[in-house]
Amino acid sequence: MATDAKAGAKGKGPKLPVILSANRLLEGDVVYLTAGGWTLDPASARIASDAETAAVMEAEGAAAAAANLVVDPYLVPVEIDATGFPRATHFREAMRQTGPSIHPDIGKQAEYAH
Amino acid sequence: MYRYDEFDERFVRERVQQFRTQVERRLDGSLSDDEFKPLRLKNGLYLQLHAYMLRIAVPYGTLNGKQLRQLALIGERYDKGYGHFTTRQNLQFNWPQLKDVPDILDLLADVEMHCIQTSGNCIRNVTADQFAGIAKDEVEDPRPTAELLRQWSSLHPEFAWLPRKFKIAVTGAEHDRAAIKVHDIGLKVRRHPDTGATGYQVVVGGGLGRTPMIGKVIRDFLPKDELLAYLEAVMRVYNAEGRRDNKYKARVKILVHEIGTEEFVRRVEAEYAQLDGPTVNAPESEVARIARYFAPPAYEALPEDSAVLDAARRADPALDAFVAQNGFAHRQPGYLALTISLKPVGGVPGDMTSEQMRAFADIAERYSFDELRVTHAQNLVLPHVRKDDVPRVFEALKAAGLATANSGLVTDIIACPGMDYCALATARSIPIAQEIAKSFADERRQAEIGPLQIKISGCINACGHHHVGHIGILGLEKSGKENYQITLGGDATEAAALGERLGPGIDAEAVPGAIETIVGTYLKVRTDGEAFIDTVRRAGLDPFKASFDAYVAGEPA
Ligand code: HEM
Ligand code: SF4
Repeated sequence: MATDAKAGAKGKGPKLPVILSANRLLEGDVVYLTAGGWTLDPASARIASDAETAAVMEAEGAAAAAANLVVDPYLVPVEIDATGFPRATHFREAMRQTGPSIHPDIGKQAEYAH
Repeated sequence: MYRYDEFDERFVRERVQQFRTQVERRLDGSLSDDEFKPLRLKNGLYLQLHAYMLRIAVPYGTLNGKQLRQLALIGERYDKGYGHFTTRQNLQFNWPQLKDVPDILDLLADVEMHCIQTSGNCIRNVTADQFAGIAKDEVEDPRPTAELLRQWSSLHPEFAWLPRKFKIAVTGAEHDRAAIKVHDIGLKVRRHPDTGATGYQVVVGGGLGRTPMIGKVIRDFLPKDELLAYLEAVMRVYNAEGRRDNKYKARVKILVHEIGTEEFVRRVEAEYAQLDGPTVNAPESEVARIARYFAPPAYEALPEDSAVLDAARRADPALDAFVAQNGFAHRQPGYLALTISLKPVGGVPGDMTSEQMRAFADIAERYSFDELRVTHAQNLVLPHVRKDDVPRVFEALKAAGLATANSGLVTDIIACPGMDYCALATARSIPIAQEIAKSFADERRQAEIGPLQIKISGCINACGHHHVGHIGILGLEKSGKENYQITLGGDATEAAALGERLGPGIDAEAVPGAIETIVGTYLKVRTDGEAFIDTVRRAGLDPFKASFDAYVAGEPA
């Protein structure tokens, strides 16, 4: 889906720092790239603070998509909060990090307290 | 109810099997994502914000207890214990996993259900009046027509790849409860004023979304037996001339608008004249066969009034309010239809838990000839309840948390999934509905305000019908924040109208106050017994604009 977060990828890239998000092909779950593989927990996402790291992560995402592990990988601009959590700056991506706002009992917000 | 014949059964099973192998091939990498996407969409499977979403067809909104129980089971085993009824009378599951979907489709096929025609550029699941076969103002039950259209469109090779999605709604009644004027094709069963023969009024080119349009009548009376050939002519004109170059201009409403109704009619009639009608139209025997499935249930002969119900209503004000608000007059003496609101104050419009589905299946089996309906307002209906049974039904509904007495009132809000689930959303819609409902929670006040339809969409696609809400709310994004535009005066009935913008967009927190302001103005301006939409029509937007502007400017009301 075209989103503001992704649109930046065409030009000079999204505002740093960024993390890389996708959906797992088999389950559909939102996942984030880590230093070694993928995680369901947004707190464990690998953070790119420079354009080179972001490019490496994007390439890893594309490779995972080509290997049929994930679909739709893209970079997500974040802000690192006081606890070190990389919170997405756009509310759509923040929603993907938590789960539906109307169901605090469901999704990542219930499974991983941040 | 319609029962699958051998052909339907085989067709659905084959589709499940096909999809099973398609999933396998996707997982082993022999199908790429681009190749797989149209295949999963053909089976109602989307990828949403958090997870996959599976959309299950409920043809013309009719279900039985066994089917609802199966949905409860799927919700429990493969989802998170709830489903969401939509404005197209379908059901969506928000959390299925791709690997489970073939098994889910098999479970659906076990109860004659599927996800075909719930997505993609085909003729979608046909919707109908939820009071089909019940309403006193009905000429004919619209469901046999809807079922005929389902069979005709399901495998029609010419309609497998239309320029865009195509939605058909049918009503058989005087009063339009199926929103036929905002569909690609709307059909109204009617009688010829001179001969008394049955036929259809055919409306084409309605739609919501980015470019909302009210449909145009292209035939005032089409003899009943000519339906399929005539619609085939409409589809051919659209298929040949609909804009495939631009998906925002690809719906038939744009074609009708661009060439004009007269020219559109001319082309349809020219195409129709070329068609060999008798080979396309359904044989009378087939039409009669389908109609038999929708024959009325075995009603008891009862007096119109029920002393049992009357006494119970006098004794229990809650029951009295429930029947007054959610009851719908049945054409069979001694029976009543009941709207079951899926809009408890503070709840998620259209959501139902697996537990509630089971409880409701029990009630429908026991008290409503094993039949229930889904409405386009995201509620359910018990179509045929004996008035004598209503007090017991009310108790059972209460126990299941399904006895909210707000049908058609200000808290009976339509809301699309919005940003809480939907990948296309620009803003949330469900929390807005919840906050508005909470601010109008007082039942006495709701009753005093009377019929008022609020409809909310989380983006310009208008799945929540906001254009035709008496009050419409559209969620957009403005400078990285959710922002809401409010429209007034929309109407989805035979008096269809698109709402007009009241003023600038406002923040989420300001929406409930804005609705209060609008309602406050209505209460001041209305004449005795005048419904909200009639006041807006009579008084125009000005008084509402003035108070809305004052509210936005922060002035006290
Ligand atoms: C969550 C996934 C959904 C997606 C991706 C989606 C997508 C869309 C799109 C793109 C349109 C605009 C079509 C056009 O103008 O050509 C649309 C319209 C519509 N959708 Fe959805 N929708 C979704 C969910 C729903 C739900 C949950 C409902 C019912 C509550 C619904 C009912 C409708 C209706 C009634 C319309 C407007 C009528 C029309 O087609 O003109 N959709 N949808
Ligand atoms: S109106 Fe927009 S946000 Fe709402 S369900 Fe449709 S596509 Fe999603």
